[in-house]
Amino acid sequence: MSQATAPTQTETQSFGGVQARATTALNKPRISIRDLDFFYGDNRALKGINLDLPERQVTGMIGPSGCGKSTLLRVLNRMYDLYPGQHATGQAMMDGLNIIDPKIDINALRARIGMVFQKPTPFPMTIYDNIAFGVKLHEKLSKAAMDERVEWSLSRAALWGEVKDRLNTSAMGLSGGQQQRLCIARTIAVRPEVILFDEPTSALDPISTLKIEELIDELKTDFTIAIVTHNMQQAARCADQVAFFYLGEMVECAPAAQIFTAPREKRTQEYVTGRFG
Amino acid sequence: MSDAPEHLVKSFDTELKRLRDMISQMGGIVESQLSNAMNAIIHRDANAATRAVEDDPKVDALERDVEQFVIQLLALRQPMAGDLRQIVAALKMTGDIERIGDYAANVAKRSIVLSQFSLPYTLTGLANMARLVQSQLKSIIDAIGSNDTETAIRVWQSDVEIDDIYTALFRELITYMMEDPRNITPCTHLMFIAKNMERIGDHATNIAETIYYAVRGEVLTEARPKGDNSAYAVVRSRDA
Amino acid sequence: MSATTMTAGAVPGPAKDQKTALALGRSRKRVNTIVKTLCVTATLIGLAFLASILFTLLWRGIGGLSLTVFTTSTLPPGSNGGLLNAIVGSLIQTILGAAIGTPIGLMVGTYLAEYAQNSSLGNAVRFVSDVLLSAPSILIGLFIYTLLVDPFGGFSGIAGCLALAVIVIPIVVRTTEDMLRLIPNTLREAVIGLGAPKWKMITLVCYRAARDGIATGVLLAIARVAGETAPLLFTSLGNLNWSVDLSKPMASLPVTIYQYAGSAFEDWVDLAWAGALLITFGVLAINIIARVILRGGK
Repeated sequence: MSQATAPTQTETQSFGGVQARATTALNKPRISIRDLDFFYGDNRALKGINLDLPERQVTGMIGPSGCGKSTLLRVLNRMYDLYPGQHATGQAMMDGLNIIDPKIDINALRARIGMVFQKPTPFPMTIYDNIAFGVKLHEKLSKAAMDERVEWSLSRAALWGEVKDRLNTSAMGLSGGQQQRLCIARTIAVRPEVILFDEPTSALDPISTLKIEELIDELKTDFTIAIVTHNMQQAARCADQVAFFYLGEMVECAPAAQIFTAPREKRTQEYVTGRFG
Repeated sequence: MSDAPEHLVKSFDTELKRLRDMISQMGGIVESQLSNAMNAIIHRDANAATRAVEDDPKVDALERDVEQFVIQLLALRQPMAGDLRQIVAALKMTGDIERIGDYAANVAKRSIVLSQFSLPYTLTGLANMARLVQSQLKSIIDAIGSNDTETAIRVWQSDVEIDDIYTALFRELITYMMEDPRNITPCTHLMFIAKNMERIGDHATNIAETIYYAVRGEVLTEARPKGDNSAYAVVRSRDA
Repeated sequence: MSATTMTAGAVPGPAKDQKTALALGRSRKRVNTIVKTLCVTATLIGLAFLASILFTLLWRGIGGLSLTVFTTSTLPPGSNGGLLNAIVGSLIQTILGAAIGTPIGLMVGTYLAEYAQNSSLGNAVRFVSDVLLSAPSILIGLFIYTLLVDPFGGFSGIAGCLALAVIVIPIVVRTTEDMLRLIPNTLREAVIGLGAPKWKMITLVCYRAARDGIATGVLLAIARVAGETAPLLFTSLGNLNWSVDLSKPMASLPVTIYQYAGSAFEDWVDLAWAGALLITFGVLAINIIARVILRGGK
């Protein structure tokens, strides 16, 4: 699991008012995953996963194609319920509730754990309605309160300035990067505690990608974040903790600086230096 | 790090090999610089001295090249983990090797002055020190090429012997200088020569620490054993 | 060999022969020209038939069109009658038939697309719906006859509506299912991910996304049943008088055309052509509207 190395002499000091990036100190876990197995029919895709997602920090998940990282992410908000034949065993505990348990209120769960997908999917409605949609599912707000929530979400998603004059136009008219930020705004509008990002920038150009990485950096002050990415440099830039997956198992999980400068497992070293994958 | 599999992109392996070869070449040149310098001192071989001095610009040029190449590799390859440590280590080591070359050239230059004096005392102490330093240097240059942390640790720990010899030499030379003022010029040069050798030993241990970090990913945290007490040496004459 | 021989070791096999390459190119061009000519000829033949039909319709039909067509009901030959009852009857039966059939078709289509993608019940329903889609409409007329006309002892407008509804249902099922299936799963997951229950996902997002396609399908279904004659023959029969009573036989344009076209009376034949013209251009208008909606949606 998380193996923290001792902080260097100057890591806890601030130079010029700037603290070191939290390279070694990980917060207490928001979600604790223990002995998680996942099956596509009879095929075991995830084997005995043990992982903690630290509160209000970013956990990056890396690994070659088909290693199970997206599968694990989608277990956390029970997306597999949509597809018969897929099921999970084990525990994913959040506040004493097991996410895997079929008896929990799944819509309430999904309001607490939001997800942003790889392909931006604006709903076929106005921008305002897109944001209001999720909120209306769970809360009854007055018009003024809803307006405020819409403005807050769009501001936190760094989109307010660009769309505030056209809230009643169709969301389909936005650019790719804007659409993805709209999806992020839509997700945070319901005020979740955890946000899951499934390769959020792989369909975007480099500048939009960086804008979203900056957004993730800001969002982590309020939300616990897990991000699956194919791009190791993105995991290096964004994540506080990085977990490396291979063939359905979690090989190593450590602070980002450690994974990318001195990983402990040979397979991690080989993947990270581009010797296989 | 001798990982069995190669990089998926073979040209990266080729470039890393080029980097290793550049460092090896530098190492080879300074090894021969040192050996020539010592021959110049002990056997008064002026040709050896000239060769040692003339090799120095080659080392300087290689250092600049390695520096440029490292920056290029960092920008173009975005290396991670072991690769990153190796590349940054190459940058550090090239600085140490270049200083070693400078010291060897300096020793060679002083040998030219020394050859004008006939010395009443033997240079066995200095010759011993020189042999030790040469063997440390050879070991560590080989260890760079083979990523050998055992040798690196050994070199790192045995620097203390060189320091002990230097402290003794220091006192000896001061004694000679106090006995006869005509000894001052040659002995001062010899002092600088001995100091240069001791510094070469220190740079070799720097390289050892760098190799260890590059291979293991951990820092050699124990305090390096230091035996250079010359800073505290006081020699009083029997008359005063 | 020619000058374009590859360097040894670059690509395996014998070198490229320039002459064969050129000959192959020429034969490809020949085949291309032949096929293109055949296609254009076929198109022209088809267009010729279509043009001839439309021209005949226009020529014969416009002659019979006048204001009386729209103001007077059908009258015995020679009395300068119109088609009002037939037009109104057709409108009532078509719209009512569509109004009954569309919700049913919509719900079945939704069930097939969202709940029964691969189940055996779903596959069975899909199969039956496809069969019904191409069933002869006279059979549907007979079916409703056995159900609603015979036991009750009389033809009725409502039976006509139901017969048309049965024709509308499989069309709407097919369109709804196809349009809903076009919606990418990523959109569904995005809605579910916000915590929406499945029915809300379907009604609030999927229907909205598929709205244009489904509307087009419904319009095309209406266009289809507007011209159906056979089912109405056994159900609403037709009525020479003005009647909007659903429990009694009701007139409709196709049935009236059927009755008038074969008669010996010239004014009736003229009215039949006028009726045919009305139906054709009504259906054409619906098709154009449907296309405009689809293009506008994009």
